[in-house]
Formats: sequence, structure tokens, C-alpha cells
Amino acid sequence: MRKLLSVLLMLCLLGSLLVPFAVAEGEEPITLTVFRGDPGDQPADDNKIYKKIEEEFGIKFEFEFLAGDLDETLGLKIQGQDFPDLFDGGNSADLIISGGALINLLDYVNPTDTPNLWAHIEPQKARIIEKDEETGEDVMYIIPNYGLAEGDQIVNAVNGPAFFIQKQVLAWGGYPQIKTLDEYFDLIEKFIEANPTNADGTPYIGFDILTEDWRRFCLINPVQHLMGRPNDGEVLVDINNDYHTETFINQPYAKRYYQKLNEEFHKGLISQDTFPMTYDQYIAQLSSGIVLGMFDQTWDFGNATTALQDAGMYENTYVALGLIYDESEVADVLPEGWKIEEHYVNGGVPNIRRGFGISVNCECPERIVKMWERMLDEDWQLLFNWGVEGEDYSIENGRLVMTEEQYANTLDTEWQKHNKARAFFESSPKRQGYIMEGELAGNCWEPGNQPEILFGMMNDYDKEFLAAYGYKKFGDFVNPPIELAPYGEAWQIDYTPVDQDHTDFINIQMEYLPKLIMCDPAEFDALWDEFVTTINPSATAFGEYMDEAVKAEVAKVLG
Amino acid sequence: MTTANYQNQKVRKHYDVAFPIVNTLVLILLMFITLYPVINTLAYSFNEGTDALRGGIGLWPRVWSLKSYQSILSDRAVYQAAWISASKTVIITLLNLFWTGMLAYTLARKEFVLRSFFTIFFVLTMYVNAGLIPNYLLVSKTLKLSKSYWVYIIPTMFSCFNMIVLRTYIAGLPEALVESARIDGAGDIRIYWQIIFPLCKPVLATVALFVAVGSWNSWFDTHLYCAGQKDLHTLQYLLKMKLATTQASANAAKTSADALKNTTQTTPVTIRCAITVISTVPILVVYPFLQKYFVTGMVLGSVKG
Amino acid sequence: MADNARGITRYYIPKKKGFFTRLAKQWQLALMSVPMFLYVFLFNYVPMWGWRNAFLDYTNKKQVAKGITPFYGWKNFQWLFSRPDFFQSIRNTLAMSVINLVFGTVSAILLAVLLNEVRQKAFKRTVQTVTYLPHFLSMVIVVAMAQNIFNSNGAVNQLLLSLGIVKESVFWLGEGKYFWWLVGVINVWKEVGWGTIIYISAMTSIDPALYEAASIDGAGRFQRILHVTLPGIKSTFVILLIMNIGHLMEAGFEIQYLLGNPLVMNWSRTIDIFVLEYGTQKLNFGVATAAGMFKSVVAIILLVGANFISKRLGEDTLV
Repeated sequence: MRKLLSVLLMLCLLGSLLVPFAVAEGEEPITLTVFRGDPGDQPADDNKIYKKIEEEFGIKFEFEFLAGDLDETLGLKIQGQDFPDLFDGGNSADLIISGGALINLLDYVNPTDTPNLWAHIEPQKARIIEKDEETGEDVMYIIPNYGLAEGDQIVNAVNGPAFFIQKQVLAWGGYPQIKTLDEYFDLIEKFIEANPTNADGTPYIGFDILTEDWRRFCLINPVQHLMGRPNDGEVLVDINNDYHTETFINQPYAKRYYQKLNEEFHKGLISQDTFPMTYDQYIAQLSSGIVLGMFDQTWDFGNATTALQDAGMYENTYVALGLIYDESEVADVLPEGWKIEEHYVNGGVPNIRRGFGISVNCECPERIVKMWERMLDEDWQLLFNWGVEGEDYSIENGRLVMTEEQYANTLDTEWQKHNKARAFFESSPKRQGYIMEGELAGNCWEPGNQPEILFGMMNDYDKEFLAAYGYKKFGDFVNPPIELAPYGEAWQIDYTPVDQDHTDFINIQMEYLPKLIMCDPAEFDALWDEFVTTINPSATAFGEYMDEAVKAEVAKVLG
Repeated sequence: MTTANYQNQKVRKHYDVAFPIVNTLVLILLMFITLYPVINTLAYSFNEGTDALRGGIGLWPRVWSLKSYQSILSDRAVYQAAWISASKTVIITLLNLFWTGMLAYTLARKEFVLRSFFTIFFVLTMYVNAGLIPNYLLVSKTLKLSKSYWVYIIPTMFSCFNMIVLRTYIAGLPEALVESARIDGAGDIRIYWQIIFPLCKPVLATVALFVAVGSWNSWFDTHLYCAGQKDLHTLQYLLKMKLATTQASANAAKTSADALKNTTQTTPVTIRCAITVISTVPILVVYPFLQKYFVTGMVLGSVKG
Repeated sequence: MADNARGITRYYIPKKKGFFTRLAKQWQLALMSVPMFLYVFLFNYVPMWGWRNAFLDYTNKKQVAKGITPFYGWKNFQWLFSRPDFFQSIRNTLAMSVINLVFGTVSAILLAVLLNEVRQKAFKRTVQTVTYLPHFLSMVIVVAMAQNIFNSNGAVNQLLLSLGIVKESVFWLGEGKYFWWLVGVINVWKEVGWGTIIYISAMTSIDPALYEAASIDGAGRFQRILHVTLPGIKSTFVILLIMNIGHLMEAGFEIQYLLGNPLVMNWSRTIDIFVLEYGTQKLNFGVATAAGMFKSVVAIILLVGANFISKRLGEDTLV
């Protein structure tokens, strides 16, 4: 009886699940399966942007977001040849490309059929178009989802890595120019001495170091920047010396930074609790305004900034500083001919191998390319970026404007589910920078960059703070962008052939660096030597691979 | 009664009075300790999102807000997911009880000729695992179960652990029950369903709870086989997705002002807590019905008498 | 009695009869078990062909992605056993699972016994319901809470300081020597209530008459616990113990991953984490499968050993 019942139940369920999925050729309505190599939110069924896409292109999407481990998930898809139509491999797109999951988009993208897309990639095509290793033909698997900006580079603020400091510390110190590591820690030390606790009596934390999982870059990346270079991940590239590339963590000039941290640890500026800290705890500390400084990337703690602003604690928000070594301190250990000049901000970097590719299982690649082509037109870009005119933004005297409420909406995840096409748009080709032609020329493609929004909605504290420095924007705290090196940024380079060495390389750093920071200063030198000896084999293997890869990329781009 | 026992009886009496009091106190303390994380989660779920970022919330919300619940419950996907979770849990539990119970009975029968072979055969499955890929390929390629509701049911109809639990219990039942039924001419199928099965209610309730909770809490099968099928998502998978957004990679954020603002919008801790509460409540509701069976003492004595 | 004996002889066919004759007689038992045999064969044994992956070369990711995985002999195993940190992860796994097993079992039995002694049904049910609730919290939430409680100015340190047990706060989260025990404590905290369920259900099979008889014999509470309750759950305990000993190579993954940090990485890395870092995440399924095989072999050895010892001691056996 029970068995019968369950069989019946199952049959009922099966029946109800045979929802028809209409898939057909041509302009028939179709549903594309989409994988995103990031976690995300499913859009609401009544989402207005997806509705418009369906109306114009007859295309609906079925999204799959990442829930488990990325590489494992991609590995299974490759083993099972289960490719979605639109395939974004996140940070591991290399896997699906070498797995033969993606089609060569150059079969569809060319100056005549897709003038928009071609114009979009043309300025960076030397970087984007690759040579197939075996056949030698030109291939492009993914159109970069970001970094193909038009017009002058916008540097309103440092979006990437920097040393951060609370605004109140700079204000307390009389708005000084902080350029070196020593000046930075000196100021924090003095501030803490004068103000050990905040108004509630909670002690200030001088400097936080986040180490959780992939966010370990807060611990292991700073040295390259102190040497003056923008973000090349875990290697230092000497652009004046034939792009010689080496891992920096095992070099003598890296020792100075961790020795400094060791000193600050013993002065009490850094707490031992910083190492077991999770990301959530880190955000909690930052949001409560008690952390005076840290090395991080701006996007990594956006939540905390929002929380501080919501609470009106503007003086506890952060400024990004481009710190470098005081050259006299490291003079004897610098690579030959190295000059330390601060270049935290790099030239516009196309986000190579990130974004959607079209999989070999897709039955209508041409239709997707056509859709992208059409979407690069102004009306669609405005729809994705700004929303529906009159509803989400308006045009006044040729300028795109939003009310404060409209802008706040765009940052609300709940609102986005109904009114933004994030999941699709984030991985699709898009225009950034300035609108170059037409009636709207001079506006920014993205609301967040539009001066009316950026400066018009800036709070009074920030305005006064900038005025005290005589700056126009927070980007003025660092040097203007350096020209992008031919190889792009080295962290984008695929290092899978040496990934076991790389794992060792990372694990050894994670084991030793906290110990170095916390050890007895008298033992520091011996421990550092031990660290260098331990890490050298894997660092050399990884470094040599990167050296070759960087040089090969340079050769390719310079032709 | 031995002499020693008799002499100790007085001392024992004191214990007997003190014991229930101490016992009660110990249990109350234990309740507090284990209740703390639960109440803390509740407190977070009722707190305002941005405020909760600051941490430090204990047993009571600092800034009350129902927003987390509103935002979750206003999403149609949650109801669909709850239906999928609930229906698959019921079906899997029934199927498990049906098959596992019968199998456990046969393996408790000492005279069954296949008993030792089957026991080893089944027990081994608890310790040897082919690994992720072969299992994935079997289910999704060979059996073509992915992207359908069946993938929740068919691969999870049996658990060896539960079978052993049942077998141990059945083996502990008086042999005479089976023997006397056999004399009456009953076959094994009838003996199992008419005599053994009703006696196993407490342990069946336990096994049902294990299976149901296991099924209710699983998310990996959705992740592997139904991630693209919005209508087949389960409640735990939604929770897992919410938790995963904190692990969001920094893919591309640095190059766009908008992406910069958006990628930092990880799921607030309050939403994570609220969805934990929502996904636990159904179990809280069902539990007492099962608890009835395994807390109340057995009626076995009367059966035997 | 005579009927009974006749019945048994009718059913228990003498051993010398052929296997198939006996099986034919037991067709009902076969009917009840063979479907699951086929089912388990399909879902658990057929995928076992995947073990051949342990002997294939997955080190070249580009080749792997194209489906090219040459024969590799024992090299995956050799690589594993050449890694000192693999042995370290075995040590950590065993240490944490032994701690979990001992703490978990003892605490669950203790709580089950205490609950069994409670007479007021409402109270008993309340305690049970409350203590099993943490089982449903996700590890992410539990670990976050544990981190707040155990950090330098967390509740535990404040309590110890105010009682004067320690002079300065203990760095629970950052010292390797505490890590295994911390995992044990958190696991007990989360699972103790859940763990009692199986023992409490076992206690229901104890004949109430035994308690009565013990009382008549003058046994007090402790005697009753000692001579009736505990023997009553002994076979459940023994079977679970044997099963869990087979599982000693599984210490979990999530809690160590979440609670671990650079300072304790040499104590927190379990086999599963090692495999994830060097195998699965690198698509090196050869290494992952080899490690899985190794775990299985050890598990079976442990299982057979535990089963054997239990048999020699005259206790229940799993197999």
C-alpha cells in the first residue's frame, strides 16, 4: 500500500514537472542556459530589463550561479560535457577554454557583420585575440566583460589595492602628506597614543591584516606596491629590465615590510587576533569604526563603508594611500637600477578571459553575437547602466541625472532583482568610460562615475576633507595612472601548469608570514632566513614560469 | 538481594533524592548552552541589516527589523523551493523506510543464506566511495537523471547506516516472536509487516528523522544536477547560495565603479540568519510527532507478557 | 514447546543441503533484499570503475580538459606519500576524529542517560528539542559564533580571567595545540543533542520489567543505570563504535576550513582539505582518487580490526 502510494505520488510529481521548454531555431523565442562563475541572486520573474530583452530578442535566460567550489564545478561540467549556452568560468575560465568548451567568437565577430563589437575590442585586440597553440589561428573565446573604456581614464578614487587610513587620523594629524610606510605607521602610532579609544571607550586597532582564504592578498601582496608597482599579483615585473619577473616575497626587499609589521606588532598596533579573523569579523570591525588602517582593495570592504556612511560616521571611512618604501632604507637590497616611484593605479586593464563565452553546445551562437552587437548601442547600454528613462533616471540639459533615491535604489539588492539585469550584464561586453558621441557625449556610461552623482551626492565631511587637502577627488591621493604595460597585469596570467608549486608557494607564505610578524624581534632574522630557504624551491618554479609567461605576452602584444 | 546491597540502601536513598534535582539543574544548564547559538541566530535575523554588520549582538536584537523576513518571504522562489524540499523529503523518507526496514529484517535473520555476503556488501558502501566524478557521470550521463525531480529521489533511496541501526534493533527483539509466527505458518514478508514492523516504531521514527533531516538539509545534489533549474531549487540550496555570496570572488570589480559597488553587496548576515530560521522551523514543527515514538517507553513488555 | 521445535526443524534446513535449495526455501527473504542489492550495486559499485582514475595522469590540466589522461602507474600514490604534509594531514584527521568520537559518544550517552532518568515528560521533551536544535545551524554560523566566544576578549576568556584561572587571555584560536580540542568542543556543542536520539531510541527497547525487577532487588538509581540502562544500549553502542572506528579517516572538512587560519594550518589541515587543495581544485582527480582509495583501504582495515576485537570480546559485530 505504502509502496503504491509513493509510486503514485512520484508519478503525479513527474507529470507536474514536464514543463515544456520551447527551444527552436531562428527568431523563435528561446531560452538560453547561462552559467556564472560567481555566486549571485536569481532575478525576479517580473524583472523589467529581462522582459525588454525577451521582447526585442525573443531570448530568455535560465541562470545557474556558483554555489560550491568553482574549479570542482567546472571540472564536472567538462567531464560531463554539460556546457550551458552562455558560459562564464569566473576566475577559472582557463579551464573551460582549454577544455574546449567555448567556440571561437572570431567566426562571428568581424568589422563588417558586427561593427559595434569590433570597434569595442579593436583598441585592445592585440591583448584580447590569442593565437591557438596548436593550429596557430587567431582565436577569441571571451569578450572581456570589463575594462574596455572609452575616453580619458576615470580615476575618481582608488578602486584597487592601497594602504587605507581612517580620515579622522589624517584630520587629527593636520592633513599631512603620507607617502611612505614609515610615515604611515608613525601617524597611526601617534594618533593611538593620543586617542587610545573611541568615544564609547572601545580601544582602537592600529592595523588589521585579513588572511581569510583568497583574501590573503591583504597579507602577501603589499610589497610590490611598496616597490612602486601596480597590481601584478604575486610577482614583481621590472618593466625597465626586459620585463624580468620574479616572486617578491622571498627577496631581501620584502623583509623590510614584514620587519616593520613585526615592530608594529610589538608596539601593539597589530593584534594577534587579526590572523584568526574571518571576513565577517573583519567587516564588523571596520564597520564599527575602530580600525585605523589596513592594506586591502577598495571593493573588498564596500559593505563596511556603506555601514559607516549609513551611521553617519564619515570620519571613520577610509582614504586610499599609495605608500612606498623610503628608498634610503632599502637602497642596498633593491634590484639593479630599480627606482621606487609610486604607481598604484594602472592604465585601463581589459579584463582578459573574464566574461561570457559561447559554448560549443549552443545552437544559436550567431543570434547571441547579434544580440550583443545590438546591445552595445547607446539605448541598450543606458538601459543596462541607468535603467528606464523617467523612471530610474532623467536627462536634464544633455546630462544624465538621478535623484538620491533613484541612485540608492541601484545599490539595493532587492530592487536590483526586479529592475536590473545584473546576472546577464555583468558578464556581457559593455561600454565604460565616457559617452563619446551623440547628444549625450561627455556623460559617463556608468552612473557611479557621473560627476553629478559622485560629487553632487558627496557628504559634507568628505567635501571639507578634500578641501583641506586642496584635492578635487579621492583619486588625487595617489599618482595619476601609469601607462599599462604590454603584458597587462600579471595576475591575469594563467599559471595552471605550475599550480602545485603555486599552492606550496602560497601555503608556505601563509605559514611563515604571521609567525614572522609575531615572533620575538631577536629571532626575526633567523626565522626570515628559514622562510626564504623553505619557500625558494616553489617560488623559483613559479617565478620562472611567470617570467617566461610575461615575456611571451609582451612579445605577442608588441608583435 | 545481597547483604551489601541492603547495607548500602540508606546511602543510596540520599542519592535518589538528590539525583533528580542535580539532574534537572544540569539539563537546564545544558539547555542554556545549546540554546545560545539558536537564540543568537534568531536575534540576528530580527536585527536591522547594516547595524548587524557591526557584530556584537547577543541574545536580543539591537535594532529591531522584520526586513530580512520580508525580503525572503516576498520572493516567490522560496515557496517553490519549500515545496520541492518538503515533497522530496516526504517521498524519500517513505521509500527509505520501506526498503531499509525490509532489508534490515532479512539481515537480522540468522538463517538467511545470503546474510553474511549481503552484510559485507552493504557495509562496504559506507567506507568505499568511487569519488565525485564517476558518481556524477553515472547519475547525469548514464541514467540521465539530472535536471529532473527524479534526481532527488532515485539516488537516495537507501542508507546503510540506517539499515544497520534498524538491524541492530530488530536483532534485539525476542526471537520467540518470529518463531511463534512461523509456527502459525506465516512467511517472512508477513512476519515482517505484521509483527516486526509495528514493534519497530521507535527506531523507525528515529530512522525517519535521520533520513528526513538528511534529505531536508542536502544542497549538493541540487548544486550538481539542478542548479540551472530554478523550479527545482531546494530551500537549503537557496540558503547555500546566500551563504556563498560572502565568498564571492573579486572578479572584475576593480575596473568598474558600478561593479565595485555591486560586488560588495554580499548577503547581509541578517538574511543568512533569517533563512536559517525559516529552513529550520518546518523540522521544529514535525519533530514532536516523531519524538512521541522514541521518547515514550516501549510497549514491548506488554507484548511479551 | 513441541510445536515450536517442530516449526524450527521445518524451517531450518540442515547445512548440508545445497545453497540454492536453501535460497529457494528462503525466497521471501530474498525477495525483500535483492532489489536493494541491485540498487546498491548500481549506485555504489558500478561507479567504482572510477578508481582507475588513481592510476591516470591528471597533472597536465590542458590535456585533462581535452580528456587525455595517460596511464600513470603508482605515481599518484608515490606523490602523496612523498609529501610530509600529507602525513601531517593524516595525523590531524586521526587526532580530530578520535577526539570527536570519544567526546561525542561519551557526551551523547551521558545526556541520553540523564534524559532517561527524567520523569516529567514535558521537561524531557523540552530538553531534547532544545539540545538538538544546534544541529540545524549551518557550520558557517556556528563557527562565527565560536570565534566570537573564543577570541581574546570573548566570553570564555573573560570568564577565565574573572575567575582568576588565567592571568592573561588565552589565544584559543591562534595556537595549534588548542585547535583539535576546540573542534571537539564545538562539535559536541553542536551535536550532543542530536547524538542522543539514537541512544534514546535504543533505550525504548529495554523491557520496563527489568527496571521493576532491579528495584525489587533494591537497586538504586545508579545501580539501575549501571545494570539495566547501559547494558540495554550496549549493542547499539558497540555497533556504532565499530562503524565510527571505520570512519576515523573522516574528520570532516567544513569546520576545519572555516575555523582554520594561517597560525594553525599545520593542525587544521585534514586529508579532505589536502585533497581539495592539491587535487579537486586543480582538477587533479588522479591524486584525489588515490587519496580516496587510501582512505578506503585504511577504513576497511580499521573496520575489520574493530569487528574482530569486538567478536573476540564476545560483543556484537557489525559484519
